[in-house]
Amino acid sequence: MQSGLVVKAARIAIVVALFAIWEILSRTGIVNPRLLPSASDTLSTLGELLQRASVRKDLAVTATEVVTAFALAVPVGALIGFLIAENRYFAEVAKPLLFFAFSIPKSIFLPMFILVFGVGFSQKVGFGFFSTIFIVIMSTTTAVESVKVEHLTVARSYGATPVQTAFRVYLPSMLPVLLEALRISMIFNVTGVILAEMYASRDGIGHQIATWGENFQMKQLLAGVVMIAAIAIAFNELVRWVETRCSHWRT
Amino acid sequence: MQPLANITPLKPAGAIEVRNVGQIFKTTTQDVVALEDVSLDVKPGRFVVLVGPSGCGKSTLLMMMAGLRQQTSGTITISGAPIPEPDPNRVGVVFQEASLFPWLTAEENVEFPLALRGVTKNDRRARAQDALKLVGLDGFGKRHPHELSGGMKQRVSIARGLVQDPPVLLMDEPFAALDEQTRMTMGDELLRIWAATGKTVVFVTHSLTEAVYLADEVIVMSPRPGRIVDHLQVSLPRPRTYEMLSGDAFGSLRDRIWRHIRKSA
Amino acid sequence: MSAATLRRLIVIGLIVLWEILPRAGFIPELFLPSLSSTLAAGWNEAGEYGHALAVTLYEVAISMAFACGGGILLGAIVGSLPRPRILIMPMVSSLYAVPLVILYPVFTVWLGIGSESKIAFASIYGFLPTMLATAAGIQTIDPQLLLAARSMGATLSQRLVRVIIPAAIPTVLSGLRVGGALVIVGVVVSEMLISSAGIGYLISRYRTILDSPHVFAGVLLVLAMAIAFNAAIKWIERKAAIWQTGTRAGQDSAGEVAPTALQPAT
Repeated sequence: MQSGLVVKAARIAIVVALFAIWEILSRTGIVNPRLLPSASDTLSTLGELLQRASVRKDLAVTATEVVTAFALAVPVGALIGFLIAENRYFAEVAKPLLFFAFSIPKSIFLPMFILVFGVGFSQKVGFGFFSTIFIVIMSTTTAVESVKVEHLTVARSYGATPVQTAFRVYLPSMLPVLLEALRISMIFNVTGVILAEMYASRDGIGHQIATWGENFQMKQLLAGVVMIAAIAIAFNELVRWVETRCSHWRT
Repeated sequence: MQPLANITPLKPAGAIEVRNVGQIFKTTTQDVVALEDVSLDVKPGRFVVLVGPSGCGKSTLLMMMAGLRQQTSGTITISGAPIPEPDPNRVGVVFQEASLFPWLTAEENVEFPLALRGVTKNDRRARAQDALKLVGLDGFGKRHPHELSGGMKQRVSIARGLVQDPPVLLMDEPFAALDEQTRMTMGDELLRIWAATGKTVVFVTHSLTEAVYLADEVIVMSPRPGRIVDHLQVSLPRPRTYEMLSGDAFGSLRDRIWRHIRKSA
Repeated sequence: MSAATLRRLIVIGLIVLWEILPRAGFIPELFLPSLSSTLAAGWNEAGEYGHALAVTLYEVAISMAFACGGGILLGAIVGSLPRPRILIMPMVSSLYAVPLVILYPVFTVWLGIGSESKIAFASIYGFLPTMLATAAGIQTIDPQLLLAARSMGATLSQRLVRVIIPAAIPTVLSGLRVGGALVIVGVVVSEMLISSAGIGYLISRYRTILDSPHVFAGVLLVLAMAIAFNAAIKWIERKAAIWQTGTRAGQDSAGEVAPTALQPAT
């Protein structure tokens, strides 16, 4: 218990130290402060950006795209994943194709989405969906396969109905794997949407970051990077926290 | 005056002497006494089995005899000299199934300890062949471990332990991962190899039947703290046969061990 | 019909549809140019694509050396020392949640729009997963193997050369596979975003003038590159198949990253 606290403290110390090094490098002029504004300047810029209506609007646009893409990709991907995991023939046909689709870089198809959808909401959501769906299919398959045959046999031998089996065996067995899958799918989803915004877009936080970069506005650029990183890490830790809460299922 | 190094040890090769040995594991919260005041004499050429429930320190004791771990107190000598670090010329060790190197062939695995010492390739190969022949694996030298059955893998491990011809062979639950039939066969094989080589064998196991079947002497240990609670002489004639398993002499020895273990569990 | 036959038929069917649908006008050529017109476009500008490929391959090679070399080395160190592992690994895997592509504008400000910024970005992009994969793999080396080597009197350096390195080979390969794939993605994406050379640049330039066949020729070239890389790693893995048994099976390092997470994001 105590060593857990020590580890946490050490991690916080590492993060603080990194920010301190950043601050010192910039303040002492070892690194040109115009290329690397100090940590404190960046953080105060971040505070100021969050007050700006335009930045808030960009964040809202990105959030809407991320949520829409996610809400489309997860049910569709989960359904396909279920079908593959439950049907051996289908699985044998589809799995190598999916593995292949999964292993090829998705980002090179981004121009295709622009050619088809133009620049706008549907292009970004479409690309977010495309970046996410394969990992959802793969993880769902893994989740279904993580259900132990012995458990299903036991349930059947005690006369469990299909609904009972679904809620009392499948769901609890799959829950930890599913949470992990959702977390990772979200990482893919956010990366896809932000890349689409940076590549060609009129709004969204990814577009804004790309613009700051083109205009050499380092303070705003770094503040944007810190903001996105903080949001992503916070989301990630939240889901991981829930994961550990139900990790006793995992064996 | 004669230099010290030339004085032959008082104890003959293959003798093991354990004197008042203790082992304490330090963890962050508390000290765990793994072994307390353990003394034991093994005469050359004997087959001694250590049994006891989990946590009685039997494997720890074996690791100390192998020089893989140092005792907190007391002394251990092998062939009359202490063993501060592993010495494959004095002690061969056989572990559970997993300890063969999967990227080496059977004969390369057997040659491994010789290769560490820079023995020439031809010499190595010849000695590995002899050792493989001894364990009945003539002709299997080119196979990799994943192409061998569990029993064959353990034969390779035994060959590896014997390739430098040490007078002592230490075996840490070598047949634990095998199925019952293979386990019995391997027991007979081990007794045959032991009779052919005259090694001192110290053998750790969970199985009471295996212990009585193989041993000249059985050392029974109890946990918390690990200590010796009984030392039985098994006077069953050799060669041992399956018929003995159902005999009264066998049964009463096994019962006696079981009573100790039940008490300490 | 066997699954493999059906799969082959599906692949052939898709390729045929790719040719027929645009030709018959069911899909506008702007959205999806037919296979033949894509190949023709690539062939006609072979010199330009060849030059772009050379630039991209150069950037990929350098980034791969940084990402895989650094990732494998650091992963091996962190993976084999328990204290840094407990301290650092969860932090590294949180960092993995960040969409790293937002760092690319920073690199263009610092290093310009030439190869340097691509190499910096792709190296970082490939580094984290390589390090995570290697660290997770090093932990799965069976301690019995090390104990056995020690019982035979192996010195520390003998244990490193004869046990740890051979046992780590499958891990290093999987690290290489993940890191390499990400490096290719990183280089091409950064070329697509802001650059003046490379295949990614060609794709973006042809996209802005709505020249779909040339866009797709570039996409095909990147695909071929990714597939070739995958095939090369698979070939090496098969050569070293015997090593695969050197680690304890099913050892999922809890609290760290699942194998699926180590695949290329977008």
